[in-house]
Amino acid sequence: MSRIHDMGGRLGTGPVDPKDGYDFGEAKDWHKRALALNVACGFLGQWNIDASRHARELLDPQDYTAFSYYEKWMGGLADLMVDRGVVTVEELASGQAAGVSPVSFRAAKPDTVEAVLMNGSPYTRDAAAPVFAVGAKVKTRRPARNVAVPGGHTRLPAYAAGAVGEIVLQHGAHVFPDSNAHFQGEAAEPLYAVRFTAQELWGAEADPRDEVVLDLWESYLEPVA
Amino acid sequence: MVFVENTDEVHNMVVCTLCSCYPWPLLGIPPGWYKSDAYRARAVREPRAVLAEFGVMLPEGKKVRVWDSTAEVRYLVVPQRPVGTEGLSEDELAALVTRDSMIGTALAQEPLTEEPGA
Repeated sequence: MSRIHDMGGRLGTGPVDPKDGYDFGEAKDWHKRALALNVACGFLGQWNIDASRHARELLDPQDYTAFSYYEKWMGGLADLMVDRGVVTVEELASGQAAGVSPVSFRAAKPDTVEAVLMNGSPYTRDAAAPVFAVGAKVKTRRPARNVAVPGGHTRLPAYAAGAVGEIVLQHGAHVFPDSNAHFQGEAAEPLYAVRFTAQELWGAEADPRDEVVLDLWESYLEPVA
Repeated sequence: MVFVENTDEVHNMVVCTLCSCYPWPLLGIPPGWYKSDAYRARAVREPRAVLAEFGVMLPEGKKVRVWDSTAEVRYLVVPQRPVGTEGLSEDELAALVTRDSMIGTALAQEPLTEEPGA
């Protein structure tokens, strides 16, 4: 993947527009359908949240830049559905199913959707105890990359690679996206909130008072003496 | 869910630089600006400039702590209680808390004050 999505610290994007509110105006009614389609297809159980993020990250960088938010979601969804065998390219192109899908029995039902969405999915798991204590100094992996899958999914942003920070929270063990996104198992490991000074990340131009905190998995981190 | 409290010393704000992670069950669907390239790119690098674009000017000396939502843990900012709200009820206080103040791109609203002599 191009890492076009890894935007933290990128320059030249222009100002933030606080008036850019919700997308669900009349002119953008299809956004509701795009969101609903993505959520509904998640009920089919053929992928996980990490795989769906990775699918959007795999979009051609020119598409990623040009697409609106929900266009990215639909692009990622189409790729996932074909990759996972839910639909064929021909079915997608024609809009007509070639037959009854073998996963149709998993389709979302109106009376269960709300409860499932409100409950969410837990990502905490019973796994090894954390190695790092609160207050411990740690250094992040550099470069930011998926060690097991070249070019694969990871949740270590490039701007925080190779930086020294301090553990501020232990979150317990969480499903490991670098593995789960590639259907290689949940491989849960301890997750931490790690605090970095802004100057560690951005240099002397940053405000010396400021800090950035990221949630980082244990294998992204090494101890600092 | 982790609640991070704004105080005299620190102002917290939340971003997701890698995608658009957001506390859906509590705040609903994220607004467009939260998902924009500009917010995702700049909130971690120049949070004070981003805050200024939202009209938020922090007092001299206050620290800005930005939380980048890189995992499934969701962060919600507890805005600082405005001065002059000592007598307000829970409902009246809740009415001062906006969506943006819980993301950290706004402060809690000031309470409406009665006109002098009204």
